Amino acid sequence: MPPELEHQSMMMDQEPTASDTIREVAAEVLETMFFTEAELATCEHSWLAAAACARIRFEGSHFGEMLLGVSLEAAGPIAASFLGLEPVELTDTQHGQVIQELSNILCGAMLSHLWPESKLALLSPELTPWQEWPPAGLLHRCFTIPEGMLAISIRLAPPAQPAGNQ
Amino acid sequence: MAVSSLVVGISDCKVTRDAESVLVTYALGSCIAVAMHDPVTKVSGLLHYMLPESAIDAKKAELNPFMFADTGIPRMMDVLKNAGGDGKRMVVRLTGGAQVLDSQGVFQIGKRNYLAARRILWKAGILVAAEAVGGEVSRTTRMEVGSGRLWVREGGGVERELVRSSGPKGRNNGE
Amino acid sequence: MAYSVLIVDDSPVMRSFIRRVLGLSGFEVGECMEAADGEEALARLRAHRVDVILTDINMPGMNGEELLRKLGADGVLKRIPAVVISTDATNERILRMIALGAQGYMSKPFTPETLRDELERVLGERDASRA
Repeated sequence: MPPELEHQSMMMDQEPTASDTIREVAAEVLETMFFTEAELATCEHSWLAAAACARIRFEGSHFGEMLLGVSLEAAGPIAASFLGLEPVELTDTQHGQVIQELSNILCGAMLSHLWPESKLALLSPELTPWQEWPPAGLLHRCFTIPEGMLAISIRLAPPAQPAGNQ
Repeated sequence: MAVSSLVVGISDCKVTRDAESVLVTYALGSCIAVAMHDPVTKVSGLLHYMLPESAIDAKKAELNPFMFADTGIPRMMDVLKNAGGDGKRMVVRLTGGAQVLDSQGVFQIGKRNYLAARRILWKAGILVAAEAVGGEVSRTTRMEVGSGRLWVREGGGVERELVRSSGPKGRNNGE
Repeated sequence: MAYSVLIVDDSPVMRSFIRRVLGLSGFEVGECMEAADGEEALARLRAHRVDVILTDINMPGMNGEELLRKLGADGVLKRIPAVVISTDATNERILRMIALGAQGYMSKPFTPETLRDELERVLGERDASRA
């Protein structure tokens, strides 16, 4: 099996467990540090075009990336909850920084649950528009939170090939 | 010495600095009890609220702010301050928030009530000293005003003192 | 006695979160310094007295692991207790950071109270060792 399909296959083999992990970790992260709760929701993605999103890449024993989307109306309250402030006290920069940190915490916690024996490094999260990744090998879940909506996508990628090794 | 027992009902709050008093509240299912105690002045308060957000019924919140976390907790803190309590010294403990089937048939309200308290207290600059929350049992909470000590009875069990614990990972939740 | 704390994390909002916990925990915090990576942290440590270091791992530039390695190699700086605060909760990483001298390891997410309790433990042990 070509390496890129092997990665996708590995992800899909774990799918029921991995799906549960996304749900459980999202709930734990949001309750513990953001004092809000997340419930699985049926996917409907029209809100994602305007959402506050962050992408974070990881490397090591597994390579891949995670994408987080937080609906526009939820980004302010989520950031305010984390920082212990009123939404009106926050700057746009702080909104973005909290979304980045949320993606960092979610990604790290998910990878640590999925692969506790692995060796991983997370790169710095970047704010980015939402992207609809191809479904093959993709783990994706939407959530409702009291403030709005949240979406998480995770995909593995084959490790970069050294130059000249085609 | 006669001990006077001040009973806090549902959607109710009592504040006192009488060191001979005991504040008590019963039948904490999905509701949350917020206990606050100033160890220097002894000013103490016990709030028993039912719901997290007053936005669902602003009129009710106006009539009785203690029904909701977002109106009840700030109101209790104001009363405590006016009675001579120092917010920075307050020892705060939470009990209740069980996952029980309430009158609306909702299981999740206990957790929502708990998260509302945590969010409001964090914003107010208060860390929780101890908590006995979650699970599926109803609780009774009793606080001695003079000493600040607090006891919890879970279901039909034995009353036990709630002492300092870490956050949710160290939660005493009936386990 | 007022403690001097150094928070090392590339996320400004995470540094704010930790700073807020420190302010609410009841410790007497004299000075609370911040650094966005290991290099900045070392510069702070060489210029100021620090009683406890709270450090992330994944940071651009010098990461937390390299920082601990450098601290361990310094006769003076290695005596400062360091607590790791990281999203990485893999077993291999935790063991590696402890082996490099971390006195504590907090994996995110954690509540403010959990961080408070960990700081009490580490500072208590530090004070006991100096008694």
